[in-house]
Amino acid sequence: MKVARPFGDVGVIRRLALIFLAVGSSVIVVCCCYSGIVADLSMVVFVMGFPTALIGLAVARNGRIGPLTVPLGVLALILEGCGIGIFLLRDQNSLELWFGGVPLAAALLVYGLWFGPLLLVGLAYGMTFDRWELRESDLRRFEERRCGSGKDAEK
Amino acid sequence: MTVQVSSVVVGSAVVYLALVTMVGIWAAQRTTSAKDFFIAGQKLGWIVTAFATMSAAFSGFVFMGGPGLMYRVGVASLFICVPVGFTSGLLCWVVGKRLRLLAGLQEIYTVPDVILCRYQSRLASGLAAGAIVIGTIAYLGAQLQALGILVETVFGTRALFGPWSLLGAMILGSIVVVFYATVGGMVAGVYTDLLQGGLMVAAAVVVFWYCLQAGDGLEAMSLSIADSDMFGPGFLNPFGTLSVKTAIGFFFVFAVGVLGQPHMLHKFFMLENPRALKWLPLVIGLTQSACILIWLGIGLAVPALVSRGLLSPLVNPDDAAPQFLLSFTPGALAGLVVAGVLAAIMSTADSFVNIGSAAIVRDVPKAFGRQIRNELLWGRIVVVGLASIAVIFAFLYRDLIALVGTFAFGTFAAALAPAVAVGLNWRRVSGVAASASIMTGVVVNLGLEFLSKQVVFEWLPDAPLARGALPSATALAASFSVLLVVSWLWPADPKLGLDPDVEFVMDV
Repeated sequence: MKVARPFGDVGVIRRLALIFLAVGSSVIVVCCCYSGIVADLSMVVFVMGFPTALIGLAVARNGRIGPLTVPLGVLALILEGCGIGIFLLRDQNSLELWFGGVPLAAALLVYGLWFGPLLLVGLAYGMTFDRWELRESDLRRFEERRCGSGKDAEK
Repeated sequence: MTVQVSSVVVGSAVVYLALVTMVGIWAAQRTTSAKDFFIAGQKLGWIVTAFATMSAAFSGFVFMGGPGLMYRVGVASLFICVPVGFTSGLLCWVVGKRLRLLAGLQEIYTVPDVILCRYQSRLASGLAAGAIVIGTIAYLGAQLQALGILVETVFGTRALFGPWSLLGAMILGSIVVVFYATVGGMVAGVYTDLLQGGLMVAAAVVVFWYCLQAGDGLEAMSLSIADSDMFGPGFLNPFGTLSVKTAIGFFFVFAVGVLGQPHMLHKFFMLENPRALKWLPLVIGLTQSACILIWLGIGLAVPALVSRGLLSPLVNPDDAAPQFLLSFTPGALAGLVVAGVLAAIMSTADSFVNIGSAAIVRDVPKAFGRQIRNELLWGRIVVVGLASIAVIFAFLYRDLIALVGTFAFGTFAAALAPAVAVGLNWRRVSGVAASASIMTGVVVNLGLEFLSKQVVFEWLPDAPLARGALPSATALAASFSVLLVVSWLWPADPKLGLDPDVEFVMDV
């Protein structure tokens, strides 16, 4: 059993993401077995952070996430903020605070968790694609490898 | 309120079914190899792929199951679908690029192929194939159940055939699905997905508009619901009628679990060019969100109309969408929407019969080190068998479409998401960790689901879960936990190394 280097050769961002995923998944399992406000809130916090942690694990290069720092930061804030906000409003069935035709808690769900990330994620992916996700040099290496393996070059 | 079956609606549905059948015949002529049958020859542009991905993801679950679930539990049901705001980006960032690059370097037709390639473990890929077969039967069952309910309502078979009506309607609907999936494979699937995707988006947006008209706007609908004795203000609170654990569990399964859905991952193999990924998340996100409007719209309109006495309370919540369409939209539009809903159901059902047949015909034999000679022929034969088993499963499970679909989605999520998502991004994950994770996901999900629902064996304990906790959410978290802990304790052996193509893809 090798535990001396628990993550292998990974940078800071990936290390943090892996720690979050490991702790978060274990906490979620425990929370599913216990009742109570602490279990509920913990589940909200870790579930809402999971998607951003997974993206961070995938997109980091040499310990950095470059142009995705701001979009992913905003995504994390939206998910956590809306999740915790809905949790804090859970016992309130009052109809005093409304937004966009629905009570506030429902508005956080619809306009926050759903519409909030919609353009952010799609545009962030498209606009950073050539610089970060799949660069020209990556594609060239891929084509060379593909041609070298005998498959037809892609258009 | 008795709903008259409209000849316009029936006519539209029949025309659509005929159109789909013709696409199946056209596609059959273009399906000449296993590569064509399983991944449409890897020749798809990004628009077709975007619509195919969206169509495959959206189904009777969204169009009928969603409004039905919302009728029963309120806006809490939206935790299932709101992740579409970011899941397309999550998919492309976490797995999309690597899946497509790998499929360009090796013969990758299925998710178990990816697992075999990544981990060099026939055990891991065999377990993945087994999980896919189980999940396929359940997911296909949910689609055929939705199809059956819709056919019943549109063709009015309930009055004629009584308690056997649903089974008959499911069999009738599944015959069309099996026909074009069998002859055309994935080529039929993706081109019908293009037709179906466009129809679904158009239908959803128009229906949402009619919901706002029928209900006098979102605020008026919300106020009617809040003032009613039957629903009350708790209906509009995300944690009002469902516990925090149930609602957040839904979000977890449907947000993170998307990374393990074979019908979505499969679409990345079909892209003609990796560059086509660039605007895929935006298009998928927007089209999926347009489709979800039907869940929100009918989900609020029907309770509001029931509260105002304009619609009878529903005996079966899954009747919400058909009842609204047939009662509050013009006949021609209802026909278009029924066709759109049929489209949604069939596109997903078609994806699953093909994926399930690939798992049985290709992946399971591979796990035993064998290969079937005529994969194309056997693929077609297995499609018929799978559909039959799925019909029986759905008929026996007897629950809301959305809940059957949740079980199926959760099975895929718990089994595959950690092994695929983390495994493609962290070298330390070994075949042992992947196998342990897949096994944990399947056993925990099935075990907890069984203990939660079974009533036959009284001596068996209840599922050891807190009130409201979802078996699938627990299984998904456990599966991640096992993968990460086992990877930490027993990392991949650096001497054995990764496949060079996998090494390359993980470096990009």
